[in-house]
Amino acid sequence: MKRGLSLQDALAAYRPDAELAPPPKQIDPDALLNAYHPDHLRDGMATLAVGPNAGAQCPRELADLLQAEAYIDEVDLAGAEVTDTDVLVIGGGGAGCAAALAAAEHGAHVLLATKLRLGDSNTVMAEGGLQAAIEPDDSVQQHLQDTLRAGHHAGDPALVAALVGDGPEVIRWLIRQGMQFDQTASGDLHTRRAGGISAPRIVHCRDYTGLEMMRVLREAVIQHRGIEVWSQAPAVELLSNESGRKCVGAVLGSLDGQKLRIVRARSVILATGGIGRLHLHGFPTSNHLGATGDGLVLAYRIGARLCELDSFQYHPTGLVNPPYLSGKLVTEGIRAAGALLLNAEGRRFIDELQPRDVVSAAIIRECREGRGIHPDTGGVGVWLDTARLERSQPGLIEQQFPKLLARSRIAGIDPRRNPVLVYPTLHYQNGGAVIDANGATTVAGLYAAGEVAGGIHGRNRIMGNALLEIISFGRRAGFAAALAGHDRGPKKITLEHVNQARRALTLAGMPLTRHAPQMLPAYTAPGKEIWKA
Amino acid sequence: MESLNANLLHPRQRVGENIQRWREADGGEALRLAAQDPAAVLTAVQDADLRGLGGSGFPVWRKWQAVANEAPRPDKYLVCNGNEDEPGTFKDRLLLEETPHQVIEGALLAALATGINRVVFYVNPDLTRSLAALQAALAQWQGSDMLQQAGDVLGRPITMALVPGSGHYIGGEETAALEWIEGKFPFPRGKPPYPAQFGIYGCPTLINNIETLANIPAIVRRGADWFRNLGLGQATGSKLYSLSGDVLHPGVYELPMGTTLHDLVFTHGGGLLSGKPLKAVFTGGPSNTLLAPEDLDVGLDFDSLRERGASLGTGAMIVVSEGTGIVRQVAEYMRFFAHSSCGQCVSCKTGTATLSRLIDRIDTGRGTAADLATIENLCRMLPGSGRCHLVNGVAQLVESSFRHFRHEYQQALK
Repeated sequence: MKRGLSLQDALAAYRPDAELAPPPKQIDPDALLNAYHPDHLRDGMATLAVGPNAGAQCPRELADLLQAEAYIDEVDLAGAEVTDTDVLVIGGGGAGCAAALAAAEHGAHVLLATKLRLGDSNTVMAEGGLQAAIEPDDSVQQHLQDTLRAGHHAGDPALVAALVGDGPEVIRWLIRQGMQFDQTASGDLHTRRAGGISAPRIVHCRDYTGLEMMRVLREAVIQHRGIEVWSQAPAVELLSNESGRKCVGAVLGSLDGQKLRIVRARSVILATGGIGRLHLHGFPTSNHLGATGDGLVLAYRIGARLCELDSFQYHPTGLVNPPYLSGKLVTEGIRAAGALLLNAEGRRFIDELQPRDVVSAAIIRECREGRGIHPDTGGVGVWLDTARLERSQPGLIEQQFPKLLARSRIAGIDPRRNPVLVYPTLHYQNGGAVIDANGATTVAGLYAAGEVAGGIHGRNRIMGNALLEIISFGRRAGFAAALAGHDRGPKKITLEHVNQARRALTLAGMPLTRHAPQMLPAYTAPGKEIWKA
Repeated sequence: MESLNANLLHPRQRVGENIQRWREADGGEALRLAAQDPAAVLTAVQDADLRGLGGSGFPVWRKWQAVANEAPRPDKYLVCNGNEDEPGTFKDRLLLEETPHQVIEGALLAALATGINRVVFYVNPDLTRSLAALQAALAQWQGSDMLQQAGDVLGRPITMALVPGSGHYIGGEETAALEWIEGKFPFPRGKPPYPAQFGIYGCPTLINNIETLANIPAIVRRGADWFRNLGLGQATGSKLYSLSGDVLHPGVYELPMGTTLHDLVFTHGGGLLSGKPLKAVFTGGPSNTLLAPEDLDVGLDFDSLRERGASLGTGAMIVVSEGTGIVRQVAEYMRFFAHSSCGQCVSCKTGTATLSRLIDRIDTGRGTAADLATIENLCRMLPGSGRCHLVNGVAQLVESSFRHFRHEYQQALK
């Protein structure tokens, strides 16, 4: 990477009133993506050697975890307390809560285990809203087409059809749970447009839709008698039957002690979210602390097929400075409101309203070719010109983007006077475990919902579909898991799949030195073997 | 090396339901020989010292003799037992899937030798691929010349039927199979009368394991001496070992009867995973026992193992490496057996449940010395108290885990 200007020099050269030329004519977006988007970084990729996706490409950080050894052995289970339940939900975000509620509605006893606390998730960070075709001039067909097109037609049409068809019912259900939505003067739900969407379809609650959703789900889960919640209980490993091909429960650790607990369940639902905290290719992330891809690792080891492992969404505008806020999002809405992106030379370099992946690739190009801005504290970025926005529309930032203002105030920056330094941030995992319309993975007894599941968003997700997905597929998985649980139960609960994975690794000549799932980011000191003496 | 020893699973035999290719591999030859001299089949089996490979190790010819001595009332039945549901056993499913014609020929030979006119294939309903292969194979036999000829030799037509089992573990017990075939719940019957006298609908009935029957054609074709020479030491024939657990290459291995445990695990199984030391081997079958590392030199045949107080069972060897808790393993088996008990004998119903509960308690660190004593008492009281062998096997498993790993139980006490 060529070095651009230092932050001080760039700030000194910055003129909020300078005349700006329009951005250069759009070059071929595919060529831009190919050359600069992190999904196309060849040297950061590895080929999987074992498991159901052997031969597929994925980022090295993820491949290391998918092909790692388990933490535990049969001996570690000696003396572990065994708990029986109908449905075990792993993950306490939106998808996990929706699945737990749906299963409990069907009479199943549900145990919800969450690595951190109930609601510590990316759900609460969703600002924009969720999509549902509820306007008179809109249709689920249009919603379907928008979703497939945005995903470069890599999504599974059956799953997308299920998703968009659920939209209106999801909103109705959320309202019944007590969720607030912004309304028009006449009391209808207020909808917004967003990039890549053919009709106003985003239902929202101010700019903290996810937080409001989580508030409601969390209360509903805590109040439900059929749901037991275990906090700070990370899943260390799944359990399989004697053939290693069916999931029959999980081994849970704990963040505070050394204890392992065995949960024997008729069905297990993975709702563990994404992988931002693996910092693929060294990128910062907008994700919460627990997003370390545990679900992918557990599912892969027990033999579930994954898809689109090489496709991730990098949000173009993550903060760079100060370092402790690195990766935190500046909402896409501010670009929609007119904020421009400038490089170190003070020039525009891309149409700011292009799709997220294209804008991200353009920012990376500027920085790599020496037109980036380097603060002393490390990192690199380009300007998001909030000061110019303030000059042209005074008061707008304070009115519409209070979160950005509050965050900047803590960092001692005033975005109304100075531009903000931004760089793409690892935001969302487009792929995940392959599921069917019931949320069932390719392994019997194992379901997946939310960001850990794949096949819906193809290779790019549009705004508002993530919040819809967690409720829609969370509930689908919950129903199916509750109904599926009437077999005779396993003869034995074993770690046979761990043995099989170990065997495959040995035969492939891979080392057995690295352990996964990771559970906490590498930089949280005790994270690695926290439950082991 | 493995294919040198292979008889049942010789590549020439593994042709699936393709009857043409099976006939090219001498298929049907034994039946032709038997048609000339049906009485020679029983003699050959006796000379070969073929044992019941479903786990009993009982000489096959004695069972056959008993049925041959009975007069048909009006029929005689053969049940080919493929209910295979023992933990760690997966040999019959392979035979049915890859060499169904060999099994059918074996069954017809047994029928000719003992005067049986009704053959029932009784197969675990969960083995869908085996069921499909057997069904396809049987369809080719129905109305064929070979079946016709066999009927002519016998003097009455031979019928063959496929009956999927109930899916219960206990359904693999001989008399439970009879009950299910008669259309009732698979409760084991009291013995005597033995099936040879009073089997399906009161007719004399012979019950043999799939692997046992699959051995007959080669014995008839190649002679008893050939078969005897396959085995090592005093043992005869070859055996399908189902190797599983913490080994590098799990699978079904056809090896000379009497192959040592060391050879099976290290030469054929590729040794233990991650190079860990061997801790124990669970042998699967109606009486489950444990082998410890000092038994590595033992020949895996019925008699050698009996001398060590263990048993070959179905030939399932579940290898457990250091780093596995024996108490937990036993607790898992106990849960399975307690769940599998049909519940008609009170001692088995409550005995297995109590044992399971007590061992679970020890495993989860809540057990006391008194619990250990209770378990030992139960192991003395329970054997022989049930109609079938389930409760005996349970006691034997616990007892043999005590014999080798008593210290682990004691460590886990409160």
